Amino acid sequence: MTRYLQIWLASARYSVVRTLMFRFDFFLWAVVELCWMSVNLLLIAVIYDHTNSIAGWSKYEMLLLVGTSLLVQRFLMGFFWSSIFEMGRNIRTGHFDFFLAQPGNVLFMASTRKIDLDGLVNSFVAMGVVAYAAHKLGLHPSALDLVLYAVMIFCGLIIHYSLLVLAVSFAFWATSAQGLEGIYFTMAEFSRLPRAAFRGLAAVVFVWMLPVVVVSNAPASTLLHGFQPSWALALLGAALLWLGAAVTVFHLGLRRYSSASS
Amino acid sequence: MFVALNKYGHAFLLGLQSNLVYRFNFAVRGFFSLFHLAVVFILWGAAFAGAPSIGGFSFGQTLTYFLVMLVMQFFVGAFNEDYQISEEIRNGLINQFLLKPINYFLYRFSIFLAARLVTGVLILLPLLIAVPLLRNYLVLPHDWWRLALGVPAMALSAIIQFSIAYCFGLLTFWFLEIQGFVILSMAVESLLGGQMFPLDLLPAGVFRVAQFLPFYYQTYFPVAIFTGRLNDIGLIWQGLGIQLAWVLIFLVFNQLLWVRGLRRHTAVGG
Repeated sequence: MTRYLQIWLASARYSVVRTLMFRFDFFLWAVVELCWMSVNLLLIAVIYDHTNSIAGWSKYEMLLLVGTSLLVQRFLMGFFWSSIFEMGRNIRTGHFDFFLAQPGNVLFMASTRKIDLDGLVNSFVAMGVVAYAAHKLGLHPSALDLVLYAVMIFCGLIIHYSLLVLAVSFAFWATSAQGLEGIYFTMAEFSRLPRAAFRGLAAVVFVWMLPVVVVSNAPASTLLHGFQPSWALALLGAALLWLGAAVTVFHLGLRRYSSASS
Repeated sequence: MFVALNKYGHAFLLGLQSNLVYRFNFAVRGFFSLFHLAVVFILWGAAFAGAPSIGGFSFGQTLTYFLVMLVMQFFVGAFNEDYQISEEIRNGLINQFLLKPINYFLYRFSIFLAARLVTGVLILLPLLIAVPLLRNYLVLPHDWWRLALGVPAMALSAIIQFSIAYCFGLLTFWFLEIQGFVILSMAVESLLGGQMFPLDLLPAGVFRVAQFLPFYYQTYFPVAIFTGRLNDIGLIWQGLGIQLAWVLIFLVFNQLLWVRGLRRHTAVGG
Protein backbone atom coordinates (compact mmCIF):
# COMPACT_ATOMS: atom_id res chain seq x y z
CA MET A 1 0.00 0.00 0.00
CA THR A 2 2.78 2.42 1.01
CA ARG A 3 4.70 1.44 -2.12
CA TYR A 4 1.70 2.32 -4.31
CA LEU A 5 1.35 5.65 -2.52
CA GLN A 6 5.01 6.35 -3.23
CA ILE A 7 4.53 5.45 -6.90
CA TRP A 8 1.47 7.69 -7.11
CA LEU A 9 3.34 10.58 -5.45
CA ALA A 10 6.20 10.14 -7.92
CA SER A 11 3.69 10.29 -10.80
CA ALA A 12 2.08 13.37 -9.26
CA ARG A 13 5.47 15.09 -8.97
CA TYR A 14 6.25 14.25 -12.60
CA SER A 15 2.85 15.67 -13.63
CA VAL A 16 3.49 18.93 -11.79
CA VAL A 17 6.89 19.31 -13.45
CA ARG A 18 5.31 18.58 -16.83
CA THR A 19 2.64 21.21 -16.23
CA LEU A 20 5.29 23.78 -15.32
CA MET A 21 7.06 23.00 -18.59
CA PHE A 22 3.92 23.32 -20.72
CA ARG A 23 2.28 26.31 -19.06
CA PHE A 24 0.29 27.37 -22.13
CA ASP A 25 -1.23 23.89 -22.36
CA PHE A 26 -2.24 24.07 -18.71
CA PHE A 27 -3.87 27.46 -19.23
CA LEU A 28 -5.63 26.40 -22.44
CA TRP A 29 -7.08 23.19 -20.96
CA ALA A 30 -8.18 24.98 -17.80
CA VAL A 31 -10.11 27.43 -20.02
CA VAL A 32 -11.53 24.54 -22.10
CA GLU A 33 -12.91 22.81 -18.99
CA LEU A 34 -14.20 26.08 -17.58
CA CYS A 35 -16.05 26.76 -20.85
CA TRP A 36 -17.70 23.33 -20.82
CA MET A 37 -18.75 23.80 -17.21
CA SER A 38 -20.20 27.20 -18.12
CA VAL A 39 -22.14 25.65 -21.02
CA ASN A 40 -23.82 23.20 -18.60
CA LEU A 41 -24.60 25.95 -16.11
CA LEU A 42 -25.99 28.21 -18.85
CA LEU A 43 -28.35 25.42 -19.91
CA ILE A 44 -29.81 25.44 -16.40
CA ALA A 45 -30.00 29.25 -16.34
CA VAL A 46 -31.84 29.35 -19.69
CA ILE A 47 -34.37 26.66 -18.74
CA TYR A 48 -35.14 28.38 -15.42
CA ASP A 49 -35.69 31.64 -17.29
CA HIS A 50 -38.82 29.94 -18.65
CA THR A 51 -39.93 27.64 -15.84
CA ASN A 52 -39.71 27.56 -12.02
CA SER A 53 -39.20 23.87 -11.46
CA ILE A 54 -37.63 20.78 -12.98
CA ALA A 55 -39.13 17.66 -11.40
CA GLY A 56 -39.81 19.66 -8.23
CA TRP A 57 -36.27 21.06 -8.03
CA SER A 58 -35.84 24.82 -7.82
CA LYS A 59 -33.14 26.70 -9.75
CA TYR A 60 -30.56 26.69 -6.95
CA GLU A 61 -31.29 23.09 -5.97
CA MET A 62 -30.62 22.17 -9.58
CA LEU A 63 -27.46 24.30 -9.55
CA LEU A 64 -26.28 22.40 -6.48
CA LEU A 65 -26.94 19.10 -8.27
CA VAL A 66 -25.14 20.15 -11.45
CA GLY A 67 -22.26 21.61 -9.40
CA THR A 68 -21.93 18.28 -7.55
CA SER A 69 -21.94 16.36 -10.83
CA LEU A 70 -19.30 18.70 -12.27
CA LEU A 71 -17.20 18.32 -9.11
CA VAL A 72 -17.03 14.52 -9.46
CA GLN A 73 -16.25 14.92 -13.17
CA ARG A 74 -13.47 17.45 -12.51
CA PHE A 75 -11.82 15.03 -10.04
CA LEU A 76 -12.02 12.29 -12.65
CA MET A 77 -10.51 14.63 -15.25
CA GLY A 78 -7.77 15.71 -12.88
CA PHE A 79 -6.74 12.34 -11.45
CA PHE A 80 -7.48 9.77 -14.13
CA TRP A 81 -8.71 11.07 -17.52
CA SER A 82 -5.39 11.43 -19.41
CA SER A 83 -4.08 8.09 -18.20
CA ILE A 84 -7.23 6.13 -19.05
CA PHE A 85 -7.67 7.93 -22.38
CA GLU A 86 -4.10 6.99 -23.32
CA MET A 87 -4.73 3.47 -22.08
CA GLY A 88 -7.34 2.94 -24.82
CA ARG A 89 -4.96 4.30 -27.45
CA ASN A 90 -2.07 2.20 -26.15
CA ILE A 91 -4.17 -0.98 -26.24
CA ARG A 92 -5.00 -0.29 -29.90
CA THR A 93 -1.44 0.50 -30.92
CA GLY A 94 0.29 -2.16 -28.84
CA HIS A 95 2.14 0.39 -26.70
CA PHE A 96 0.43 -1.07 -23.64
CA ASP A 97 3.41 -3.44 -23.31
CA PHE A 98 5.15 -0.66 -21.39
CA PHE A 99 2.71 -1.03 -18.47
CA LEU A 100 2.82 -4.82 -18.49
CA ALA A 101 6.55 -4.63 -17.89
CA GLN A 102 6.16 -2.45 -14.78
CA PRO A 103 6.45 -3.99 -11.28
CA GLY A 104 2.93 -3.32 -10.02
CA ASN A 105 -0.78 -3.79 -10.60
CA VAL A 106 -1.33 -3.10 -14.31
CA LEU A 107 -4.60 -1.19 -13.90
CA PHE A 108 -3.13 0.98 -11.13
CA MET A 109 0.03 1.72 -13.09
CA ALA A 110 -1.86 2.50 -16.31
CA SER A 111 -4.67 4.58 -14.82
CA THR A 112 -2.72 6.78 -12.40
CA ARG A 113 0.27 7.71 -14.53
CA LYS A 114 -0.70 11.30 -15.21
CA ILE A 115 -2.46 13.98 -13.20
CA ASP A 116 -3.97 17.00 -14.94
CA LEU A 117 -3.75 20.07 -12.78
CA ASP A 118 -6.16 21.95 -15.06
CA GLY A 119 -8.97 19.56 -14.08
CA LEU A 120 -8.09 19.91 -10.42
CA VAL A 121 -8.01 23.71 -10.63
CA ASN A 122 -11.54 23.67 -12.04
CA SER A 123 -12.71 21.45 -9.18
CA PHE A 124 -12.45 24.61 -7.07
CA VAL A 125 -14.82 26.34 -9.52
CA ALA A 126 -17.27 23.42 -9.15
CA MET A 127 -16.96 23.68 -5.34
CA GLY A 128 -17.67 27.40 -5.71
CA VAL A 129 -20.85 26.60 -7.68
CA VAL A 130 -22.00 24.17 -4.95
CA ALA A 131 -21.17 26.68 -2.20
CA TYR A 132 -22.97 29.52 -4.06
CA ALA A 133 -26.08 27.35 -4.57
CA ALA A 134 -26.01 26.27 -0.89
CA HIS A 135 -25.71 29.92 0.17
CA LYS A 136 -28.66 30.93 -2.06
CA LEU A 137 -30.72 28.09 -0.58
CA GLY A 138 -29.82 29.20 2.94
CA LEU A 139 -28.29 25.82 3.78
CA HIS A 140 -26.07 25.44 6.82
CA PRO A 141 -24.72 21.88 6.65
CA SER A 142 -23.04 20.53 9.77
CA ALA A 143 -19.41 19.36 9.74
CA LEU A 144 -20.69 15.78 9.65
CA ASP A 145 -22.84 16.54 6.59
CA LEU A 146 -19.78 17.99 4.85
CA VAL A 147 -17.69 14.92 5.69
CA LEU A 148 -20.47 12.66 4.40
CA TYR A 149 -20.72 14.80 1.26
CA ALA A 150 -16.96 14.41 0.70
CA VAL A 151 -17.13 10.63 1.22
CA MET A 152 -20.00 10.43 -1.26
CA ILE A 153 -18.05 12.48 -3.81
CA PHE A 154 -15.22 9.97 -3.38
CA CYS A 155 -17.65 7.07 -3.99
CA GLY A 156 -18.93 8.96 -7.07
CA LEU A 157 -15.36 9.31 -8.29
CA ILE A 158 -14.89 5.53 -7.99
CA ILE A 159 -18.08 4.99 -10.03
CA HIS A 160 -16.99 7.44 -12.77
CA TYR A 161 -13.54 5.82 -12.82
CA SER A 162 -15.12 2.38 -13.19
CA LEU A 163 -17.40 3.50 -16.03
CA LEU A 164 -14.47 5.01 -17.90
CA VAL A 165 -12.28 1.92 -17.40
CA LEU A 166 -15.17 -0.28 -18.59
CA ALA A 167 -15.70 1.86 -21.71
CA VAL A 168 -12.00 1.89 -22.59
CA SER A 169 -11.59 -1.84 -21.86
CA PHE A 170 -13.76 -2.58 -24.91
CA ALA A 171 -10.66 -1.69 -26.92
CA PHE A 172 -9.29 -5.14 -25.97
CA TRP A 173 -12.08 -6.70 -28.01
CA ALA A 174 -12.68 -4.04 -30.69
CA THR A 175 -9.21 -2.76 -31.52
CA SER A 176 -10.45 -0.70 -34.48
CA ALA A 177 -12.99 1.15 -32.33
CA GLN A 178 -12.04 4.72 -31.45
CA GLY A 179 -13.73 7.28 -29.24
CA LEU A 180 -15.03 4.68 -26.77
CA GLU A 181 -14.40 7.16 -23.98
CA GLY A 182 -17.28 9.16 -25.51
CA ILE A 183 -19.59 6.58 -23.90
CA TYR A 184 -18.53 7.97 -20.53
CA PHE A 185 -19.54 11.53 -21.46
CA THR A 186 -22.92 10.30 -22.67
CA MET A 187 -23.49 8.54 -19.34
CA ALA A 188 -22.27 11.58 -17.37
CA GLU A 189 -25.06 13.65 -18.93
CA PHE A 190 -27.61 11.70 -16.87
CA SER A 191 -25.88 12.60 -13.62
CA ARG A 192 -26.93 16.22 -14.06
CA LEU A 193 -30.62 15.27 -13.83
CA PRO A 194 -32.66 14.96 -10.61
CA ARG A 195 -33.81 11.47 -9.59
CA ALA A 196 -37.46 12.56 -9.60
CA ALA A 197 -37.29 13.30 -13.35
CA PHE A 198 -36.79 9.61 -14.15
CA ARG A 199 -39.97 7.62 -14.59
CA GLY A 200 -40.90 4.17 -15.87
CA LEU A 201 -38.26 2.43 -17.96
CA ALA A 202 -35.85 5.38 -17.66
CA ALA A 203 -35.89 4.99 -13.84
CA VAL A 204 -35.21 1.26 -14.11
CA VAL A 205 -32.27 1.74 -16.52
CA PHE A 206 -30.61 4.92 -15.30
CA VAL A 207 -31.42 4.82 -11.59
CA TRP A 208 -31.31 1.11 -10.77
CA MET A 209 -29.25 -0.57 -13.52
CA LEU A 210 -26.67 2.14 -14.27
CA PRO A 211 -25.14 4.20 -11.44
CA VAL A 212 -25.30 7.51 -13.28
CA VAL A 213 -28.05 9.18 -11.27
CA VAL A 214 -27.04 8.10 -7.76
CA VAL A 215 -23.53 9.56 -8.26
CA SER A 216 -24.71 13.17 -8.03
CA ASN A 217 -28.14 12.86 -6.42
CA ALA A 218 -26.90 11.11 -3.28
CA PRO A 219 -24.35 13.79 -2.22
CA ALA A 220 -26.61 16.65 -3.35
CA SER A 221 -29.52 15.23 -1.32
CA THR A 222 -27.24 14.97 1.72
CA LEU A 223 -26.56 18.71 1.57
CA LEU A 224 -30.18 19.54 0.82
CA HIS A 225 -32.04 17.20 3.18
CA GLY A 226 -29.40 15.78 5.53
CA PHE A 227 -28.05 12.24 5.72
CA GLN A 228 -30.30 9.60 4.14
CA PRO A 229 -29.07 6.03 4.73
CA SER A 230 -30.87 4.69 1.63
CA TRP A 231 -28.94 7.06 -0.69
CA ALA A 232 -25.65 6.37 1.11
CA LEU A 233 -26.08 2.60 0.87
CA ALA A 234 -27.10 2.79 -2.78
CA LEU A 235 -24.01 4.86 -3.58
CA LEU A 236 -21.61 2.66 -1.62
CA GLY A 237 -23.11 -0.50 -3.12
CA ALA A 238 -22.90 0.93 -6.65
CA ALA A 239 -19.27 2.02 -6.11
CA LEU A 240 -18.20 -1.46 -4.97
CA LEU A 241 -20.20 -3.27 -7.64
CA TRP A 242 -19.02 -1.13 -10.55
CA LEU A 243 -15.39 -1.08 -9.41
CA GLY A 244 -15.54 -4.87 -9.22
CA ALA A 245 -17.07 -5.04 -12.70
CA ALA A 246 -14.43 -2.66 -14.14
CA VAL A 247 -11.51 -4.60 -12.63
CA THR A 248 -12.96 -7.93 -13.82
CA VAL A 249 -13.66 -6.75 -17.38
CA PHE A 250 -10.25 -5.06 -17.58
CA HIS A 251 -8.46 -8.27 -16.57
CA LEU A 252 -10.58 -10.39 -18.90
CA GLY A 253 -9.62 -8.01 -21.68
CA LEU A 254 -5.99 -8.07 -20.68
CA ARG A 255 -5.91 -11.81 -21.41
CA ARG A 256 -6.85 -11.03 -25.01
CA TYR A 257 -4.14 -8.41 -25.41
CA SER A 258 -1.64 -9.66 -27.92
CA SER A 259 0.92 -6.87 -27.79
CA ALA A 260 2.13 -4.74 -30.72
CA SER A 261 -0.23 -4.26 -33.68
CA SER A 262 -3.01 -6.01 -31.79
CA MET B 1 -14.59 21.56 -65.49
CA PHE B 2 -15.25 17.90 -66.26
CA VAL B 3 -11.65 17.01 -65.41
CA ALA B 4 -11.98 18.80 -62.06
CA LEU B 5 -15.25 17.02 -61.34
CA ASN B 6 -13.64 13.71 -62.23
CA LYS B 7 -10.64 14.48 -60.01
CA TYR B 8 -12.64 15.40 -56.91
CA GLY B 9 -15.17 12.68 -57.73
CA HIS B 10 -12.36 10.20 -57.21
CA ALA B 11 -11.49 11.86 -53.90
CA PHE B 12 -15.18 11.51 -52.93
CA LEU B 13 -15.14 7.79 -53.75
CA LEU B 14 -11.90 7.39 -51.82
CA GLY B 15 -13.51 9.12 -48.84
CA LEU B 16 -16.54 6.88 -49.15
CA GLN B 17 -14.38 3.76 -48.97
CA SER B 18 -12.24 4.95 -46.05
CA ASN B 19 -15.29 6.08 -44.08
CA LEU B 20 -17.06 2.80 -44.64
CA VAL B 21 -14.09 1.15 -42.90
CA TYR B 22 -15.03 3.15 -39.77
CA ARG B 23 -18.75 2.39 -40.06
CA PHE B 24 -18.63 0.62 -36.67
CA ASN B 25 -17.37 3.81 -34.97
CA PHE B 26 -20.06 5.93 -36.58
CA ALA B 27 -22.75 3.35 -35.78
CA VAL B 28 -21.68 3.31 -32.10
CA ARG B 29 -21.72 7.09 -32.07
CA GLY B 30 -25.18 7.08 -33.66
CA PHE B 31 -26.42 4.55 -31.10
CA PHE B 32 -25.09 6.58 -28.18
CA SER B 33 -26.72 9.71 -29.56
CA LEU B 34 -29.99 7.95 -28.61
CA PHE B 35 -28.87 8.28 -25.00
CA HIS B 36 -28.39 12.00 -25.53
CA LEU B 37 -31.93 12.09 -26.87
CA ALA B 38 -33.06 10.28 -23.70
CA VAL B 39 -31.39 13.02 -21.58
CA VAL B 40 -33.20 15.66 -23.65
CA PHE B 41 -36.51 13.83 -23.23
CA ILE B 42 -36.14 13.48 -19.45
CA LEU B 43 -34.79 17.01 -18.78
CA TRP B 44 -37.17 18.93 -21.02
CA GLY B 45 -40.08 16.63 -20.12
CA ALA B 46 -39.54 17.56 -16.46
CA ALA B 47 -39.19 21.26 -17.36
CA PHE B 48 -42.42 21.21 -19.38
CA ALA B 49 -44.26 19.54 -16.49
CA GLY B 50 -44.24 22.93 -14.75
CA ALA B 51 -44.91 25.04 -17.86
CA PRO B 52 -47.22 24.10 -20.75
CA SER B 53 -45.06 26.03 -23.21
CA ILE B 54 -41.47 27.23 -23.11
CA GLY B 55 -40.52 30.11 -25.37
CA GLY B 56 -43.90 29.73 -27.11
CA PHE B 57 -43.26 26.10 -28.09
CA SER B 58 -44.74 22.87 -26.80
CA PHE B 59 -42.82 19.87 -25.47
CA GLY B 60 -43.44 18.06 -28.77
CA GLN B 61 -42.03 20.94 -30.80
CA THR B 62 -38.98 21.16 -28.55
CA LEU B 63 -38.36 17.42 -28.76
CA THR B 64 -38.72 17.58 -32.56
CA TYR B 65 -36.14 20.38 -32.58
CA PHE B 66 -33.59 18.22 -30.74
CA LEU B 67 -34.27 15.18 -32.92
CA VAL B 68 -33.82 17.18 -36.15
CA MET B 69 -30.72 18.81 -34.62
CA LEU B 70 -29.27 15.37 -34.01
CA VAL B 71 -29.94 14.22 -37.57
CA MET B 72 -28.58 17.52 -38.92
CA GLN B 73 -25.29 17.05 -37.05
CA PHE B 74 -24.79 13.68 -38.68
CA PHE B 75 -25.58 15.13 -42.13
CA VAL B 76 -23.60 18.39 -42.02
CA GLY B 77 -21.43 18.37 -38.85
CA ALA B 78 -17.67 18.09 -39.00
CA PHE B 79 -16.61 15.07 -36.93
CA ASN B 80 -12.84 14.70 -36.98
CA GLU B 81 -11.85 16.51 -40.15
CA ASP B 82 -9.78 19.00 -38.12
CA TYR B 83 -7.71 16.18 -36.60
CA GLN B 84 -7.26 14.47 -39.98
CA ILE B 85 -5.98 17.68 -41.57
CA SER B 86 -3.75 18.32 -38.58
CA GLU B 87 -2.34 14.80 -38.85
CA GLU B 88 -1.62 15.24 -42.57
CA ILE B 89 0.25 18.49 -41.93
CA ARG B 90 2.21 17.11 -38.98
CA ASN B 91 3.21 13.91 -40.77
CA GLY B 92 4.11 15.73 -43.96
CA LEU B 93 1.38 13.97 -45.96
CA ILE B 94 0.24 17.28 -47.44
CA ASN B 95 3.56 17.52 -49.29
CA GLN B 96 2.18 15.34 -52.08
CA PHE B 97 -0.65 17.83 -52.67
CA LEU B 98 1.82 20.69 -53.05
CA LEU B 99 3.34 18.97 -56.08
CA LYS B 100 0.08 18.02 -57.79
CA PRO B 101 -2.65 20.10 -59.45
CA ILE B 102 -5.03 19.42 -56.57
CA ASN B 103 -6.68 22.03 -54.41
CA TYR B 104 -6.28 20.73 -50.86
CA PHE B 105 -9.47 22.43 -49.61
CA LEU B 106 -11.57 20.85 -52.38
CA TYR B 107 -9.86 17.49 -51.87
CA ARG B 108 -10.67 17.49 -48.14
CA PHE B 109 -14.16 18.86 -48.79
CA SER B 110 -14.88 15.98 -51.20
CA ILE B 111 -13.85 13.51 -48.48
CA PHE B 112 -15.98 15.43 -45.96
CA LEU B 113 -19.03 15.07 -48.25
CA ALA B 114 -18.42 11.33 -48.54
CA ALA B 115 -18.08 11.02 -44.75
CA ARG B 116 -21.35 12.88 -44.21
CA LEU B 117 -23.09 10.61 -46.68
CA VAL B 118 -21.96 7.59 -44.62
CA THR B 119 -22.82 9.13 -41.21
CA GLY B 120 -26.09 10.54 -42.59
CA VAL B 121 -27.19 7.07 -43.70
CA LEU B 122 -25.98 5.45 -40.45
CA ILE B 123 -27.97 7.84 -38.22
CA LEU B 124 -31.10 6.63 -39.97
CA LEU B 125 -30.64 3.25 -38.22
CA PRO B 126 -31.00 4.55 -34.63
CA LEU B 127 -33.80 6.77 -35.94
CA LEU B 128 -35.71 3.61 -36.80
CA ILE B 129 -35.76 2.97 -33.04
CA ALA B 130 -36.29 6.57 -31.87
CA VAL B 131 -39.03 7.76 -34.23
CA PRO B 132 -41.60 5.02 -33.44
CA LEU B 133 -41.00 5.58 -29.70
CA LEU B 134 -41.42 9.34 -30.00
CA ARG B 135 -44.05 9.43 -32.76
CA ASN B 136 -46.74 10.82 -30.44
CA TYR B 137 -44.55 13.81 -29.61
CA LEU B 138 -43.02 14.76 -32.96
CA VAL B 139 -44.49 17.82 -34.65
CA LEU B 140 -43.04 18.79 -38.04
CA PRO B 141 -44.56 21.59 -40.12
CA HIS B 142 -45.45 20.55 -43.68
CA ASP B 143 -44.93 23.83 -45.61
CA TRP B 144 -43.14 23.09 -48.91
CA TRP B 145 -41.16 26.34 -48.74
CA ARG B 146 -39.36 25.09 -45.63
CA LEU B 147 -37.79 22.38 -47.75
CA ALA B 148 -36.96 24.85 -50.54
CA LEU B 149 -35.19 27.23 -48.13
CA GLY B 150 -34.00 24.69 -45.57
CA VAL B 151 -32.02 22.51 -47.98
CA PRO B 152 -29.82 25.40 -49.28
CA ALA B 153 -29.36 26.54 -45.66
CA MET B 154 -28.28 23.00 -44.81
CA ALA B 155 -25.77 22.96 -47.70
CA LEU B 156 -24.29 26.30 -46.60
CA SER B 157 -24.17 24.98 -43.01
CA ALA B 158 -22.10 22.04 -44.22
CA ILE B 159 -19.60 24.45 -45.85
CA ILE B 160 -19.39 26.54 -42.65
CA GLN B 161 -18.94 23.42 -40.50
CA PHE B 162 -16.20 22.11 -42.75
CA SER B 163 -14.53 25.53 -43.03
CA ILE B 164 -14.29 25.89 -39.26
CA ALA B 165 -12.79 22.38 -38.97
CA TYR B 166 -10.41 23.22 -41.85
CA CYS B 167 -9.29 26.42 -40.04
CA PHE B 168 -8.53 24.46 -36.88
CA GLY B 169 -6.70 21.79 -38.88
CA LEU B 170 -4.51 24.47 -40.48
CA LEU B 171 -3.59 25.80 -37.04
CA THR B 172 -1.13 22.89 -36.99
CA PHE B 173 1.17 25.09 -39.11
CA TRP B 174 1.58 27.21 -35.98
CA PHE B 175 0.79 24.85 -33.09
CA LEU B 176 1.90 21.26 -32.62
CA GLU B 177 -1.29 20.24 -30.80
CA ILE B 178 -4.73 21.58 -31.76
CA GLN B 179 -6.96 19.41 -29.56
CA GLY B 180 -7.36 22.11 -26.90
CA PHE B 181 -8.50 24.68 -29.48
CA VAL B 182 -10.89 22.19 -31.09
CA ILE B 183 -12.58 21.22 -27.82
CA LEU B 184 -12.77 24.86 -26.74
CA SER B 185 -14.45 25.67 -30.04
CA MET B 186 -16.82 22.71 -29.59
CA ALA B 187 -18.06 24.24 -26.33
CA VAL B 188 -18.78 27.56 -28.05
CA GLU B 189 -20.31 25.84 -31.08
CA SER B 190 -22.57 23.59 -29.03
CA LEU B 191 -23.83 26.60 -27.09
CA LEU B 192 -24.22 29.16 -29.89
CA GLY B 193 -25.08 26.53 -32.50
CA GLY B 194 -28.20 25.59 -30.56
CA GLN B 195 -27.19 22.06 -29.58
CA MET B 196 -27.67 22.65 -25.83
CA PHE B 197 -31.00 24.49 -26.11
CA PRO B 198 -32.98 26.27 -28.85
CA LEU B 199 -31.30 29.65 -29.27
CA ASP B 200 -34.64 31.52 -29.29
CA LEU B 201 -34.84 30.78 -25.55
CA LEU B 202 -31.93 33.18 -24.97
CA PRO B 203 -32.74 36.73 -23.83
CA ALA B 204 -33.81 38.76 -26.91
CA GLY B 205 -30.67 40.92 -27.04
CA VAL B 206 -28.29 37.96 -26.79
CA PHE B 207 -30.30 36.06 -29.42
CA ARG B 208 -30.04 39.04 -31.78
CA VAL B 209 -26.24 39.11 -31.38
CA ALA B 210 -26.06 35.31 -31.89
CA GLN B 211 -27.83 35.74 -35.25
CA PHE B 212 -24.81 37.57 -36.59
CA LEU B 213 -22.29 34.93 -35.49
CA PRO B 214 -21.29 31.98 -37.72
CA PHE B 215 -22.24 29.40 -35.06
CA TYR B 216 -25.93 30.26 -35.50
CA TYR B 217 -25.64 29.11 -39.11
CA GLN B 218 -23.78 25.89 -38.30
CA THR B 219 -26.88 23.93 -37.28
CA TYR B 220 -29.51 26.10 -35.59
CA PHE B 221 -30.56 28.01 -38.71
CA PRO B 222 -31.56 25.05 -40.95
CA VAL B 223 -33.03 23.16 -37.97
CA ALA B 224 -35.14 26.20 -37.02
CA ILE B 225 -36.42 26.43 -40.61
CA PHE B 226 -37.38 22.74 -40.74
CA THR B 227 -38.96 22.62 -37.28
CA GLY B 228 -41.02 25.81 -37.47
CA ARG B 229 -39.03 27.89 -35.00
CA LEU B 230 -38.36 30.33 -37.85
CA ASN B 231 -41.53 31.29 -39.72
CA ASP B 232 -40.90 34.71 -41.24
CA ILE B 233 -39.76 34.11 -44.85
CA GLY B 234 -38.24 37.61 -44.99
CA LEU B 235 -36.09 36.84 -41.94
CA ILE B 236 -35.08 33.49 -43.42
CA TRP B 237 -33.90 35.17 -46.66
CA GLN B 238 -31.97 37.65 -44.53
CA GLY B 239 -30.47 34.71 -42.64
CA LEU B 240 -29.48 33.02 -45.88
CA GLY B 241 -27.72 36.24 -46.91
CA ILE B 242 -25.76 36.38 -43.64
CA GLN B 243 -24.99 32.68 -43.93
CA LEU B 244 -23.67 33.15 -47.47
CA ALA B 245 -21.54 36.06 -46.27
CA TRP B 246 -20.01 33.82 -43.57
CA VAL B 247 -19.30 31.14 -46.18
CA LEU B 248 -17.41 33.69 -48.30
CA ILE B 249 -15.54 35.07 -45.27
CA PHE B 250 -14.46 31.55 -44.28
CA LEU B 251 -13.37 30.67 -47.83
CA VAL B 252 -11.18 33.77 -48.00
CA PHE B 253 -9.87 33.25 -44.45
CA ASN B 254 -9.06 29.60 -45.15
CA GLN B 255 -7.13 30.54 -48.28
CA LEU B 256 -5.23 33.17 -46.29
CA LEU B 257 -4.39 30.65 -43.55
CA TRP B 258 -3.29 28.10 -46.16
CA VAL B 259 -0.95 30.58 -47.91
CA ARG B 260 0.49 31.93 -44.65
CA GLY B 261 0.76 28.43 -43.20
CA LEU B 262 2.63 27.07 -46.20
CA ARG B 263 5.26 29.78 -45.71
CA ARG B 264 6.01 28.23 -42.33
CA HIS B 265 5.74 24.64 -43.56
CA THR B 266 9.08 22.87 -43.76
CA ALA B 267 7.74 19.76 -45.58
CA VAL B 268 9.40 17.28 -43.25
CA GLY B 269 8.42 13.63 -43.75
CA GLY B 270 5.64 12.52 -46.10
